[in-house]
Amino acid sequence: MFDLETRILIVDDMGAMRKVISKMVKEMGFLNLCEAVDGDDAWAAISSSVPPIGLVISDLNMPHCSGQDLLLRIRADEQFKNLPFLMVTAESEGRYFSSALAAGVDGYVIKPFEKSDLGEKISNIYNKKCA
Amino acid sequence: MEPVASDSPISMTKHTNYFLLKLSGNLKDGTAEDYLKQNFPEMVKSGFDVIVNCTNITHISRGWLRALSATEKQVRENKKGLRLIRVPNSIQLTILNEGLSRILKSSNDLRDALLSLGLVTKLSLDVGFINPFLSATLNVLKVLVAVEARAGSIFMKKSPELTGDISGVIGLISDSFNGNVTITFPEKTFVAFMSKIHGEVYTSILPEIADGAGEISNMIFGQAKIELNEQGYAIKTALPSIILGKNHHFSSGAQGLTIVVPFESPAGNFFVEICILDNAAVEAA
Repeated sequence: MFDLETRILIVDDMGAMRKVISKMVKEMGFLNLCEAVDGDDAWAAISSSVPPIGLVISDLNMPHCSGQDLLLRIRADEQFKNLPFLMVTAESEGRYFSSALAAGVDGYVIKPFEKSDLGEKISNIYNKKCA
Repeated sequence: MEPVASDSPISMTKHTNYFLLKLSGNLKDGTAEDYLKQNFPEMVKSGFDVIVNCTNITHISRGWLRALSATEKQVRENKKGLRLIRVPNSIQLTILNEGLSRILKSSNDLRDALLSLGLVTKLSLDVGFINPFLSATLNVLKVLVAVEARAGSIFMKKSPELTGDISGVIGLISDSFNGNVTITFPEKTFVAFMSKIHGEVYTSILPEIADGAGEISNMIFGQAKIELNEQGYAIKTALPSIILGKNHHFSSGAQGLTIVVPFESPAGNFFVEICILDNAAVEAA
């Protein structure tokens, strides 16, 4: 499912954090990246991206449209409902994890994290989707 | 790291001057007997106040209500008190129906209970409130920046004498108090941290790195909040903001209490401020 050509959308309202994630995934070999500043911006990118987005890595708490709202929107859409979605958040309380899981998140990583943590979550999603 | 749920219905933590008991799930009579044998004697012998976090209780049996009433009686004989916190409505109703609401008194959250028992004043903070921010700061910097920071002596801020060049601020919002947590950096420290995080050399605070201060405060807040809410503080989610300006300072603690934790690191110094204002004080102001 993921090869190094996979287009990855990184969604975070904080530019510094988008840059951190971009740097990590580039070091993993993924070079086809795009960014969005909130859920609305991300949805616009998902709807119009050519080539299509193959993986979304999104923050949870963002103004306007949160990562949870974005996830629900994706899962409710016939065209994009199977799009792999990795939630990245500073919220480590179980209720946030449970809500994301109920909405159909594929992975959940808690900030701060190291490149190996992010890589492991991306691999887990890949393995789950290929199983 | 993913959140892990505990299966044990009883957990007990001994603090400086009180016991924090956390009860969870369906509290059947059998587990009340375990509590009376294992936890009750230590709490009574200590002569401490007792705070019971009820947030995860789904059902409480009569046996448990009797056990808690017995605890309250013993604690009262030691001239101390017992408070229930974060009590779900269904459990509150059970207590009311059993005629125990005068014995098993409730407070909104941990801060409210500590104030009610006289264990903190409106101008003091329990050490259990500060430590999670301290450990979260050290951990976030270790993982994100690969920097080993060291906390200095904590002090109470009396006037806005501390200044910095960039701050990440995040609101502390709960039913019984409001406030904020601020991490403030001199430009030199912040630029050094962001250079390490991004693997690029910065010499000044550029717009593209400024929101890193908000993200760092967000991560510290997120880690501290889980520990504080486990204790029973009930702090809500908030979004961070950034203050940028040479030698700026805050006056957010003018009516409340501001604790400052200075930190040293090989990349430079910085400090964390924890400011809280009890809602009762807001109403009185």
